[in-house]
Amino acid sequence: MPVTEPAQIAIRAHGLRKSFRVKDEAVAAVSGLDLTVAAGQIFGFLGPNGAGKTTTLRMLTTLLSADAGEAFVAGADVMRRPQQVRRRIGYVGQLGGSDASATGLENLLLQARLHGMTAAAAASRAQDLINLFDLGAFAGRIVRSYSGGQRRRLEVALGILHHPQVLFLDEPTTGLDPQNRANLWDQVRQLRDGGTTVFLTTHYLDEADQLSDRLAIIDCGRVIAEGTPAQLKQRYSGDTVSITPAGPPDSLPAVERELAGIPLVVSTRIQDGSIRLAVTDATPALAAIFAVLDAKGIAIRAAALAQPSLDDVFLHETGRSLRDAGSPASGPATPRPAGEQVAA
Amino acid sequence: MTFALQSGLFFRRKLLETLRQPVWIITGLSTPLLYLALFEPLLRSVAGGPSLPAGQVLNVFLPGILALMAVGAGMGAGWVVIWELDSGVIERLRVTPASRFALLLGAVLRDVAMFVVPGIVVIGIAIGFGFIAHWVGLALIFVLLALLTAACSATSASLGIRLKQIGSLAAVVTGVQLPLTLLSGILLPLSLGPDWLRVLGHLNPMYYTVQAARDLAAGTITTAAVGTGFLVTGAAAALAMWWGTRGYQRAMA
Repeated sequence: MPVTEPAQIAIRAHGLRKSFRVKDEAVAAVSGLDLTVAAGQIFGFLGPNGAGKTTTLRMLTTLLSADAGEAFVAGADVMRRPQQVRRRIGYVGQLGGSDASATGLENLLLQARLHGMTAAAAASRAQDLINLFDLGAFAGRIVRSYSGGQRRRLEVALGILHHPQVLFLDEPTTGLDPQNRANLWDQVRQLRDGGTTVFLTTHYLDEADQLSDRLAIIDCGRVIAEGTPAQLKQRYSGDTVSITPAGPPDSLPAVERELAGIPLVVSTRIQDGSIRLAVTDATPALAAIFAVLDAKGIAIRAAALAQPSLDDVFLHETGRSLRDAGSPASGPATPRPAGEQVAA
Repeated sequence: MTFALQSGLFFRRKLLETLRQPVWIITGLSTPLLYLALFEPLLRSVAGGPSLPAGQVLNVFLPGILALMAVGAGMGAGWVVIWELDSGVIERLRVTPASRFALLLGAVLRDVAMFVVPGIVVIGIAIGFGFIAHWVGLALIFVLLALLTAACSATSASLGIRLKQIGSLAAVVTGVQLPLTLLSGILLPLSLGPDWLRVLGHLNPMYYTVQAARDLAAGTITTAAVGTGFLVTGAAAALAMWWGTRGYQRAMA
């Protein structure tokens, strides 16, 4: 087998592009996406709805052909060797993909046989997974009767049945209650600890933050930031200090100008009657801020230290909040391409 | 070998699904029996003349009923495909190394079984009503009409993959199915109709299937109509299967 990629790289994409035709107009869903994912980590792919997460995932998993660019997954060329890629990856789509009219066991057995296992090997592997995911109580029942959490467990089992090198999860916790969500996070971490690379898309800030070893933030079909969650938060926002002056609202810009001159302050903005200051290090910055306020005789009503979040990173890069982005009411969100409608 | 195995696995999956919903088996069987019970007596009273000889009403009528069953067994495939697209099953299977043709063939074979089994039951009952069975011809009818089911099933599946919406699929399928069946002479031979109707019929591939089936039911196996029927129906099935496989390769819902 020819080695086309260093073994420690699980996913490498370069210049990926995909447009969909919507009412005779080409709408770019992914526009020149570059991505490198090292093996053995949980890689989060964070972005608002319609940012191109699912389209990217579908190209990486051989479901959709790219208009331009190249991608290697688990060492195989996605465009030229899709069959090789399919043998080496697992995929759990947003829609789930379990067969509702079959039993859980039948789902597992069919998936195993399709991956080339003999009937005996398939039966033994299915039993392993039933034990691993605690499916025993309902594996013999028709999937239609499963709860959301049971169904999701079966679907993840289907995704990892053939020991894939890379597992793709598309919005895996959408619609799960907190308990099932925590369980799934644990399972994903266990898979990573066992050597599987996990690539997951999410639009939940906390999921990307807590679960990913590294993450990329995507907007309008492009990666706008990439790194570990801690790096990103540090690089883009450091710490955030919020100052609320006691004076009338029209005095805010003058105060902002004073504070913006402090060397430790990276950027300032006025939001909801307060001045939000991004600072490199909160402790010395606070002292400097109070010194300036004191010297200028500016009275304040409140001061607070805000923890930076990935939303600050998104806000910094796009000028809008991830919480609002992607909903139809919020301006520059991209329209959903027709090909993604079913996946909504 | 892998392909045969995978087709078998998909066929088995579909068959289990069908057996768990016996209502479809009952519906599939009740329609032809209602035709036999409620329409055949009408036909008997208008029979006479060279196109519809009075003594052999059933031998002219039954091939049409079987063709109708063959079409009906196949045309539902698109609905199943859309349901499987919406639940993500097809997407999951497409990220396995499974052959796309096997994926299609498994569903097509189920539809063929859903035609053949009730078809045999209907033949059994029709013999009781006075249908004269020519066994070789009858066996060939089932082969011919299985190809028709395959063509309809793969076409419906292809449409489902491409249209993605039940509403659009229903509009297209019902819009096509009615003229296609009426212009094939399924219920009554087109030779009873005026010239323009016969000309339109000759443009319809299913017309040749039904003509061949009538000859076979009469026990005449070596006619040109039988050859043409197999050729046209076989070509339609092959074309539809190719189109359907392409759809599974490219499906993006």
